[in-house]
Amino acid sequence: MSELDELPPAPPAAGTSLDGTKVFTITAEENAAMCRSTGIEPAADGTAHPIYYYVATQVAMGKTVAGVCEACEFDVEDGPMMGSSGVRFAAPLKVGESYKVTGEILSLVRKRSRKLGVMDVLTYRLRLHLLDGTQVLETDNVWVLPRKEFAA
Amino acid sequence: MSYAVGDELPPFTIVSVSPEAMKQWAVFLADPNPIHLDVEVVKAKGLGDRVINQGPINVAYMMNMLMQAFPGGTIKAMDSRFLDNVYGGDSAVVTGKVTAIEGNAVTCEFALDVKGRGTVNAGTAIVQI
Repeated sequence: MSELDELPPAPPAAGTSLDGTKVFTITAEENAAMCRSTGIEPAADGTAHPIYYYVATQVAMGKTVAGVCEACEFDVEDGPMMGSSGVRFAAPLKVGESYKVTGEILSLVRKRSRKLGVMDVLTYRLRLHLLDGTQVLETDNVWVLPRKEFAA
Repeated sequence: MSYAVGDELPPFTIVSVSPEAMKQWAVFLADPNPIHLDVEVVKAKGLGDRVINQGPINVAYMMNMLMQAFPGGTIKAMDSRFLDNVYGGDSAVVTGKVTAIEGNAVTCEFALDVKGRGTVNAGTAIVQI
């Protein structure tokens, strides 16, 4: 019997829809402020900073960060941590363009780590679409949810 | 600008990570997590004594390095791993290297290093030139 067998399983969050209802529009003002906050000037060709892949999907997905945590039966106050983030672009993001989000939780896996103790590893996928449905990117994010309640 | 496999990319330097930028990003991300805004909360949680940069800002720094290394290029894919926190006031630099070239697609690896603490983010990307 492994140590994990002694723990309750991770909550059944896989499959939870993250489809959004909001429309996210990249404004010139916010794009410029975002670029400058990271040390560069906005592009002159109308493209937005590609980090909007993360910003737009997080803001316009169907749950808040706290809501995603809640779906995993995790209190956001306990400090979710980013583990990794990946993105595949089908088209550049553009200033003045509006987008919507679809997505879902792919998995929630309970693990034990030497550094963090018991943790749940959350993987979720979000897709950003033009309003006509054309997909412009897909992103997979992994968060680590430390389960302090199982600390030895 | 042309590169060959093994070439190092021009670094992107962040002289001092800005707590003011973290306040802006709390709005951009619609996520007012106080560990990015209030040093007393960071201390209370035992996470250090300076505010913690939002992870997506670190990704943006790495994207900036790629965009400046490949003017006119487009990032087609990118994977980043978060290894440690970046704190307000940190001095950081993004470095990168070309690992493969196939037609117009250049594959790179990159890392974000903080002065005195080493690599805090790392990953790979494909840039279409």
